[in-house]
Amino acid sequence: MKRRDFLRTTAVGAAGISLLGVPFSAVAAQSITLTILHTNDQHSRIDPIPDDGRKHGGMGGMARRKTLIEQIRKEEPNVLLLDSGDIWQGTPYFNFFGGELEYKLMSEMKYDAATLGNHDFDNGLVGLEKMLPHAAFPFVSANYDFSKTILENRFEPYKIFEKQGVRIGVFGLGIELDGLVSKSMYGETVYNDPVAVAREMVQELRDKQKCNLIVCLSHLGYKYSSDKIDDMKLAQQVDGIDLILGGHTHTFLDEPTVVQHSNGHETLVNQVGWSGIFLGRIDFSFNKSSKKKTDVRTAVLPVNTPVTTS
Amino acid sequence: MKQNTLKYIGGLLLVLSLGACQRTFVASPVLENTDVPVDKTVTADPQMEAKIAPYRQEVVAKMSEVVGTAPKSLTKGSYETSLGNFVTDLQISQSQKLYGKPINFSLTTDGGLRVPLPEGNITTGHVFELMPFENELVVLTLTGDKVKELFDYAAQAKFVFINNSTYTVADSKATDIKINGKPLETNQTYTLVTSDYLAGGGDKLTMLKNPVKYEKVGMLLRDAILQQIRQLTAEGKPVTAEVQNRVTILP
Repeated sequence: MKRRDFLRTTAVGAAGISLLGVPFSAVAAQSITLTILHTNDQHSRIDPIPDDGRKHGGMGGMARRKTLIEQIRKEEPNVLLLDSGDIWQGTPYFNFFGGELEYKLMSEMKYDAATLGNHDFDNGLVGLEKMLPHAAFPFVSANYDFSKTILENRFEPYKIFEKQGVRIGVFGLGIELDGLVSKSMYGETVYNDPVAVAREMVQELRDKQKCNLIVCLSHLGYKYSSDKIDDMKLAQQVDGIDLILGGHTHTFLDEPTVVQHSNGHETLVNQVGWSGIFLGRIDFSFNKSSKKKTDVRTAVLPVNTPVTTS
Repeated sequence: MKQNTLKYIGGLLLVLSLGACQRTFVASPVLENTDVPVDKTVTADPQMEAKIAPYRQEVVAKMSEVVGTAPKSLTKGSYETSLGNFVTDLQISQSQKLYGKPINFSLTTDGGLRVPLPEGNITTGHVFELMPFENELVVLTLTGDKVKELFDYAAQAKFVFINNSTYTVADSKATDIKINGKPLETNQTYTLVTSDYLAGGGDKLTMLKNPVKYEKVGMLLRDAILQQIRQLTAEGKPVTAEVQNRVTILP
């Protein structure tokens, strides 16, 4: 489904519900917007990808991303900046400085939270521990159990952000490390089933913590043909996540994939390729008068295609 | 009037029903612009640039050092490649001194070698792109049965490169397997040098897990590649490797 069609579908849904309704202006007055910005699989791409004819050459660059983020922060009242893992590995910046610069620059951009990807274990638990002081943002990880490692108590399963009274719960899920990362690197880190953990997280965040929006930072991967757990299976098997921001498979999506649950709840799944070629952006509107989707803007914009030559 | 009342009741019911599920704020996504391109039209933030600059200088200086020359590029591909032969051979020659005991053969995969080595000057930067990961060399002692399994997987997967050996692919199975010219003996053990990543079952090489013996060489694969190229250059030799038709594929 192209973004165009998706927006149209959403518009129909909105029209159906607005028939019940309070005037749009009254709703709009009470609406609060939240802008979620996100990256995944940055792979130590500090500088833009060399413009030497390779794919996506000339794209990316953390100093440019900072400019974009600053611009959006000036325009939008509520911004959350999140990352779905594999911050590390891929350029000599990581090999020479061990991830220090990546964390420092992400702190500079004021990331709110990140989760761990498999390559974030590439210098072992010791290498990760050594770099954590450079990160001014928290890592959320709900399904890795670090209790038997040197990283015990260094990560929280989730973090809650409050923006103008809207509570946003953000939790993290990591991929199975066995076979992907050398055992000597992840040591006694235990991988727990993402589906079971995600269900617990939804219950905790929705019911106990009274969150209005639940975001999962996942490094599971978008979709596999095997029965290996991925973001699409997670979205189908766990009810109640609003947004899954994925990584690992370096997937470029024209628009977030929507998974509809039988109770009408929708889970969006998004991923923005890799290397910081794109900054992901999803805007949510919240309205206090409980009108579902009366204020979805339905402007039809062309689907972005990667700019490789600009 | 009556219609307005009905509308009001309808609205009230909806408010109540949604209130029951304790979601005072209901989220609606706006998906107008979900991929913001980070391209040349965006100005780099000067403060960030200043923070990056000293790191960049150090990286550039280290990366642009020419370590060797290749008369033609060493390439990627299936079953057997010049790049695969170059790397598998140097894995043995570089490990030999540190390991001290005989190593029968060497293994790598096409996916593990990230980019080809270009024709002409080879810089440290090229070697980093070829092997960006911090993989270290390990020597595995494997049973003959596991080695047979390995060759069968190589025949089927096409991306596994094994040196010091020849085999024939028939019906996606390996037959006529020879290691150093001798037929594979399933009741014998063999020593294999590879990366710790592949030894841990990476690229689905599950038969490498739980070997008879697992010994670390004490050297990163990238350092081994760099050292081999530097040594060749010091001896006045170019960086070359030929495809030797180690694999015969039956139609």
